Amino acid sequence: MEKKLSKKALSKSFHNWYYGHLTCFSQEHMQTFGYLCAMLPLVEELYNDEDEKAKAMNTYTAFFNTEPQLGTVVVGITAGLEEARANGEEVDEETINGLRAGLMGPVAGIGDSLVVGTVIPILLGIAMGMSTGGSPLGAIFYIIVWNLFAYFGMKFMYFKGYQLGGKAVDFLIGAQGEALRESVTMLGGIVIGAVSATWVSVKTSLQLVNDAGEPYLVLQDKLNEVFPGLLTAIFIIVCWFLMAKKRISPIKVMLLLVVVAFVGALVGFFDPGLAY
Amino acid sequence: MEISWLQAILLGLFASLSSMPGMGGSSIGNYTLGRPLIGGLVCGLVLGDMTTGILVGCAMQTVYIALVTPGGTVSADVRAVSYIGIPLAMVALKSYGLDATTEQGAALATSFGAMVGTLGTVLFYGTATINLVWQHMGWKVVEKRDYHKLYLVNMGLPWISHLICSFIPTVIMCKLGENVVNVIKTTLPMDGLAMKTLFTVGSLLPCVGIAILLKQIVKSVADFVPFFFGFVLAASIGINLVSATVVAGLFAVINYRIKMVAAKRVEAGGSDYEEEEEEI
Repeated sequence: MEKKLSKKALSKSFHNWYYGHLTCFSQEHMQTFGYLCAMLPLVEELYNDEDEKAKAMNTYTAFFNTEPQLGTVVVGITAGLEEARANGEEVDEETINGLRAGLMGPVAGIGDSLVVGTVIPILLGIAMGMSTGGSPLGAIFYIIVWNLFAYFGMKFMYFKGYQLGGKAVDFLIGAQGEALRESVTMLGGIVIGAVSATWVSVKTSLQLVNDAGEPYLVLQDKLNEVFPGLLTAIFIIVCWFLMAKKRISPIKVMLLLVVVAFVGALVGFFDPGLAY
Repeated sequence: MEISWLQAILLGLFASLSSMPGMGGSSIGNYTLGRPLIGGLVCGLVLGDMTTGILVGCAMQTVYIALVTPGGTVSADVRAVSYIGIPLAMVALKSYGLDATTEQGAALATSFGAMVGTLGTVLFYGTATINLVWQHMGWKVVEKRDYHKLYLVNMGLPWISHLICSFIPTVIMCKLGENVVNVIKTTLPMDGLAMKTLFTVGSLLPCVGIAILLKQIVKSVADFVPFFFGFVLAASIGINLVSATVVAGLFAVINYRIKMVAAKRVEAGGSDYEEEEEEI
């Protein structure tokens, strides 16, 4: 009789992954143990023989690490493959691990830029807008929207992976997926621009004073006449240039900014206007 | 403002849940509770001043808006930013008598958060290293085919890592916080160069956060255009963030439709070509 995974086992497998993919993270094995826990309910349902169980579980002791939200699709795909293997189809350990190793990289790349680099910043941008002035509304908005998105999105990915197998990934890297990703990235770019202009404020206090002690050139005002927020934009572009083009780590760029701030405060370019 | 033992313990618990790799799971833990904006709400509720908490959280959120951890390397630790940095910044604001709504208040909060967050990477590596012990036990479990113990290894034992690397450091730092802030206050006067630098750093740091994000989405110079479009919307036209998102949404929809039309044309063109070949 053909073996078919029950809804209950699949659901347990999904929830094990949803919660446990990173709980026991280490630099050496990363998400491997999360993966083992996700596969366990499936293996237990598919096999009765202890040796078969061990053979199946050993498949998933291979190293695994990807962007966990989008990576759920990989777990779903292997659920389908394990079911096929239990039914005597031509699926062996090499097929499964080859597929897992092959998908880890691309899925991490898409997931990092789409989920962590775009969806979360957009939601946070909106939430920060709603929380201006200290209102809890934005924070609550983020908690609800992100978690619904993450839970149901991951569930969708898991079951799509299980049903469609490798085809589920075609959507992600196919023409429609690419168009969608590019558009979401554009949306993200615009929102981040608005977030920068709203929340980042680099200002100079430099001014030239005439004999009577009245300022005749306030640099910040002049800069704003050229382009409002010019100094903020310049600092962002410089940081981007240092990290993206010069490959300097974020921590080193932060230290550099400490030096810039010190020199700037020393010569009077920056003055936060502190007083008791 | 003093942080009581009970408050410190609550914050320590949230730190254990929210870190990367945290006990809340990455969706609820790291990506929800770990975000400084949410951390601000939690710290605000725990410490009894929700408004200040959220304002401090908002200020720090800009620095960490795109905390991507490719391949598990971190440049800042969210548990430290959100559950050590925010409480300490709140104490500091109260102690200095600064209002969190002002630019100075935000700058102070930001530099505190970044300082603590960067030092906090130690906690990340600490947790990951202790987890190696549990994973070692995990391999034994797999060998013995005692698979149900995997749940304990993956979801139970890491709590011990967090007791050592999240809970205890958070409780100690929050309890010491007031003293540390007072030491800083007496040794570094507000109008001195050191404080001026600290506050300036606070206003410059968010640029790094935004730049990290741009690094993710900018592949060519043309990709800067949407960013500057959004910048102009807010800086020059004065549109708020929610409205800017709606405008951005429209452009995204237009872009998507154009791309899909182009993709369909390629498909259609491709099949024409095949037909021609068949005729020959």
